[in-house]
Amino acid sequence: MRQSIYKVFSILILSGFVACEKELPTFLEFESVQFSSVDATAGNWTPILLGSGADIAIPAPSEVNSSAYLAELSALETAIGQKTKADQQAIDYWMDSPVVRWNEIALELIAKYNIIPGPNADGTYTLPNPNTPDGPPAFPFSHPPYASRVLAYLSVAQFDGLISAWHHKFSFNRAAPFKQSANIQYNFQDNNIPSYPSEGAVVAAVSRKILSAMFPLEVDYLAEKEEEHYRSLLLSGGNVSSDIEAGKTIGNAISTLALARASGDGMSKAQAPKAVSDSIANAAFERFGWKWINLELPQRPVGLTPLFGKVQMWNVLNVEDTRPIAPPAVGSAEYLADVAILNDYADNVTEERRRIANFWQDGLGTYTPPGHWNEFAKEFIVKYKQNPIRAARTFAYLNMAMMDGGISCWDAKYYYHYPRPIQTIEGFKTIAGTPNFPSYTSGHSVFSAAGAEVLAYIFPQKANQVRDWAEEAAISRVYGGIHWTFDAYIGTDQGKDVAQYTVNRAQADGADN
Amino acid sequence: MLKLNLTITFLLFAVGLVGQTPSDAIMMESKVVCILFEYNYGQFDQYWEGPSIRENQTIATVKRNTVLPMMAVGVVKNLNLFVGLPYIKTESSDPNGGKFAGASGLQDLTVAVKYKAFEKKTARGELRVLGTVSFSTPASNYLPDYMPYSLGAGAPELAYRAIGQYTFNSGFYVRGAGTYLWKGYAKAEREYYYNNGSFYTSWMDVPNAITAEGIFGKKFLDGSLQVELNYLKTQSLSGDDIRAYNSPQPTNKVNMDRVGISAHYYFPKIEGLGIGLYHHSVINGRNAPKISTSGIGLTYFFNYLKRESL
Repeated sequence: MRQSIYKVFSILILSGFVACEKELPTFLEFESVQFSSVDATAGNWTPILLGSGADIAIPAPSEVNSSAYLAELSALETAIGQKTKADQQAIDYWMDSPVVRWNEIALELIAKYNIIPGPNADGTYTLPNPNTPDGPPAFPFSHPPYASRVLAYLSVAQFDGLISAWHHKFSFNRAAPFKQSANIQYNFQDNNIPSYPSEGAVVAAVSRKILSAMFPLEVDYLAEKEEEHYRSLLLSGGNVSSDIEAGKTIGNAISTLALARASGDGMSKAQAPKAVSDSIANAAFERFGWKWINLELPQRPVGLTPLFGKVQMWNVLNVEDTRPIAPPAVGSAEYLADVAILNDYADNVTEERRRIANFWQDGLGTYTPPGHWNEFAKEFIVKYKQNPIRAARTFAYLNMAMMDGGISCWDAKYYYHYPRPIQTIEGFKTIAGTPNFPSYTSGHSVFSAAGAEVLAYIFPQKANQVRDWAEEAAISRVYGGIHWTFDAYIGTDQGKDVAQYTVNRAQADGADN
Repeated sequence: MLKLNLTITFLLFAVGLVGQTPSDAIMMESKVVCILFEYNYGQFDQYWEGPSIRENQTIATVKRNTVLPMMAVGVVKNLNLFVGLPYIKTESSDPNGGKFAGASGLQDLTVAVKYKAFEKKTARGELRVLGTVSFSTPASNYLPDYMPYSLGAGAPELAYRAIGQYTFNSGFYVRGAGTYLWKGYAKAEREYYYNNGSFYTSWMDVPNAITAEGIFGKKFLDGSLQVELNYLKTQSLSGDDIRAYNSPQPTNKVNMDRVGISAHYYFPKIEGLGIGLYHHSVINGRNAPKISTSGIGLTYFFNYLKRESL
């Protein structure tokens, strides 16, 4: 009897919890929809790097009644007939919004490589080196500035590539294979977008090339993803192989252009040597009477990317135009008031403040704050049914604004060289990790405000929400104990200011007409 | 930083004090209650990041203080019930490079049932087989995603344990136990994490685990002193490695081998009162702290229906 009670008891408990086993989401699932627009004239929008959508030439497609096209169609019918279960899974994964998936892949690689190099046994640090990417430490360390740059180049190249694609799509007007053959069923909603060149192929080619340059150890993985994407484009019934080939031509051309800009934008010099880093710190000390120092053990000799503030911006001509006012002097009344606030937060970690500090932390090993804002953008893109070129446009302006914000923020960080709370408050402890760069202004604040302003422009129905989020992201760093309140508030203003340059450009690109 | 969560349950119940825990072979008579009050202190300054041991001045030496009140009740013949709830405080030694605040608070409430399934006396001794089912769940809102200062795994856990002990007439005994631990999901305060790929959720799957224990002990002084040497092996059934110089997280695979010694003494002149001491050290592991823990506890038995039963 007792044995059976025992059994019943344990079976009840076990079944209760086994029932709780759940699939955890590793990508965003969404439905194929009628996009909110087709944007047949998007080929006339002003691109970022190209002069116009017509700049990249592709051959005229073969006529739909030509033997060449009919052979492609018949090859596609055969391939679809032999579609495997794995093929169908790939189609269902890639869906008909290529920008969304490649953005997720970018975020995943950012999180994978957002690992700060640790000290060697002798207390020195080795920096990741693009010439020997295997390391250790592996190249890159995809910290927030690096991440913002990855996302900016990726999204800008996708956007320009799709402007070119839209230009040719609506010039040649070749309808998709599922409209040419009764034997081909399209896996997605018909959005009446001509299929030559394939927008999916443009995005796959661009993304593979840009991300391979940014994450050299992932070349094979990215090539595999690219191939899987092309295959799913074919087997979905949306493209024939000449659609794909033309898309690749565009993708390769625009990514070459984007990577040429990247190679000369100053990023390779951003991680300054110690002598330069010391002279920057000493210049600040002469000017203000303070300088930030790294308190890690062993001490890191150089802060993170002291010269990121010199990297070429997208939409701001001179970074100093966006430099904020000086922070309160260390020891001043305003500074002391902040010390009191920080001590109070540290002594009284409420559930709410802890939640906010952690929600926005986006620290090491994660997709960083720019990644978090890409995540919000992705959700809005899906929710508001943006077509691929609209989605690319959202990401392009979002990520240009955030990278510009990061550059402006880093300019301020190393110009003012302001200490972190743990440096100047005796015995201070934090619930977030203190980063390896000066305090003023807060990177989270600037990235978030810049991102929020672009999203508020593109999704005005979300304007209040995203601006509230940006303010919460900013104050989260104060709750975490790693920033002063003025780092957050002034950083938020700085982010808004920088973003305005990008929003102005967006308003003039022709998409609002 | 380091994952400690798996250790906790074991500090709690597996090879803590000798006597009246869900993992030993002692069976209390029905209507007997045992109260345990334990304090233990553990610390480590090295841990395994994946398979490699390392130091990390960001966290320096991590210190962990635990106060554990527990109660065991002999409900009916052959069935004991256990309830325990530890209070834990964690922090790093000074100086350290991270300047992180430690954590403190109530950890997990554990309820366990132990059942004696089989007992046989032979000419040379006695064989016992017991089974334990225990369930634990966080008793406060501590943050599991704050390693190595997290108080615990932050996930519900269900453990099934089988115990076999052979006691020789000489007072020597050997005991073996095996456990299967089902672990639920820990909730982080972030919506994204990396676990060999992206996860867009705040739920973290804490790997299930198995353990194996071997104990060799002897009773002295007519059984009032009991001394044990113990070995515990813990193995996660899935999970990822801590990434280089990165914080651990609840999804990590945690393996360890631990050895320990413990002693328990019942005061002959004060009926029902006992004192226990133990020390154990993790000697090998994967994504585990190389932690050494020492504990002291007082146990007190009484018969809650004494008057009636007399």
